[in-house]
Amino acid sequence: MLRIKITGCCIGVVLAFSPCLAVHAQNSLQGEWMVELSGDGPSIIGMLSLQESENGWLGHIEGGPVMVETESGAIEILVDSRDLAGFVFNRRLTGHYDDASMSGSFTIEGATEDPEPGGAWTAIRKAPTVPRQPPAPVDMGGMWTPAPGIDFRKYSMDLTESAKEWHAGYVMHYDQPNVRCVSAGIVAMVAWGAYPFEIVTSKDRLTYLYEVDSEVRRVFLNEKRPPDYYPPSPMGFSNGYWDGSNLVVDTQLLEGNVRDFRGEPVSEGARMHERYSLSEDGSTLSAVIKLIDPANYNVEPIRRRQWVRNPATEIYPYECDPDSFYRQMYEQGKMDMYFERADRREMN
Amino acid sequence: MASRLAIISTAVFLMLFQHSATGHHSFAVEFTAEETAIIEGVVAEVWFKNPHVRYYIDVTNGDGEIDRWDTRGSSPSLLVRRGWTKETISVGDTVIIKGHLGRDDKKLLSIIGIELADGTKLGAHY
Repeated sequence: MLRIKITGCCIGVVLAFSPCLAVHAQNSLQGEWMVELSGDGPSIIGMLSLQESENGWLGHIEGGPVMVETESGAIEILVDSRDLAGFVFNRRLTGHYDDASMSGSFTIEGATEDPEPGGAWTAIRKAPTVPRQPPAPVDMGGMWTPAPGIDFRKYSMDLTESAKEWHAGYVMHYDQPNVRCVSAGIVAMVAWGAYPFEIVTSKDRLTYLYEVDSEVRRVFLNEKRPPDYYPPSPMGFSNGYWDGSNLVVDTQLLEGNVRDFRGEPVSEGARMHERYSLSEDGSTLSAVIKLIDPANYNVEPIRRRQWVRNPATEIYPYECDPDSFYRQMYEQGKMDMYFERADRREMN
Repeated sequence: MASRLAIISTAVFLMLFQHSATGHHSFAVEFTAEETAIIEGVVAEVWFKNPHVRYYIDVTNGDGEIDRWDTRGSSPSLLVRRGWTKETISVGDTVIIKGHLGRDDKKLLSIIGIELADGTKLGAHY
């Protein structure tokens, strides 16, 4: 017996905004802001950048374009985001601004697996970058479990024309590497991973043991350079250093892959920049993750993650069998289609 | 069982298996957020492996014929932390499953919650 129920409203059509428009352009807004949403749960944080143009404000949150409108001290920002299952929805921020701050309320538009109630928002000017501090290492070793919140999970990004062209033909449930048990790579793993990982500390090296895909990552703290002819790979080659008590990790030698659920490309020449910080009590690890890939992104995508220390858990085995992926295509008569899409799996 | 099922609230089911899709690819491509369905049937096949757990369920339709539904859950390593193992649901078990419907009228569900024949409810936050 089967019953079907329409449970929600239809999602807004706004999936990919062009950076757009404003009624008034006012110089006082230009620059970088830190936006914080306070709703039912942990605060959500993101960087808003505003740039004046002939057509109004060009707005980005976490590197992805947003619609911005202003009029007589009032501002409205529409941000497309996705939930943990990939369902796309919009956050509509309305409020007022002055030279130093913004504030107002936000609502949710669209159906999601785990609905958000909306709430209040504020924004302040982004603080200037602090010069690099003398190393003051802290102990980040241990088991870490993903914590909810803090990230906007911004959906659309500001793709270059060539990236748009490549992405236009992307079909997630056939092209996403991990549906066929191929690693989606460190950029995606850090940004969306729902699985725990362990950091093992040793002299001049941190070793990350990820449960998902049973991947291993070495972060060299001694300026070690990759050997000659070291091949690009899903995990790349990572160097790290301490900026005060923050761990900064730079990853290069990534192979072509995807950035997120949406399948936006990561080029072989891309780099990933991560900044990890530990809470004072040592219980929470936070990271700001930036992808530097000018071949694909006009503005660098940013993600924010948190993990909580969880010594009670273990890294479970992660064996993956692609049989179900190929079986589905076989049953649907789509095997030929899949193999004709080889270009989707060559992303260099 | 169907009449008993009718009084089970959506809210309860949502608490059971939310975020079933977390962690891998986008379920939004294959499933809808707006439409959910409840099926009752007999487990025909169990696939308890990464990247996602699957249960194939034989459901008797309105014409008395058997439809085979493909229902998908989270990954095994996330489920086993909640005590949900390969042995929890076996071939031949009768189950009631609520989930997000697949697109294009496919007999496909992204599992929100499962109720076993003895009334046990499965699912959890991740």
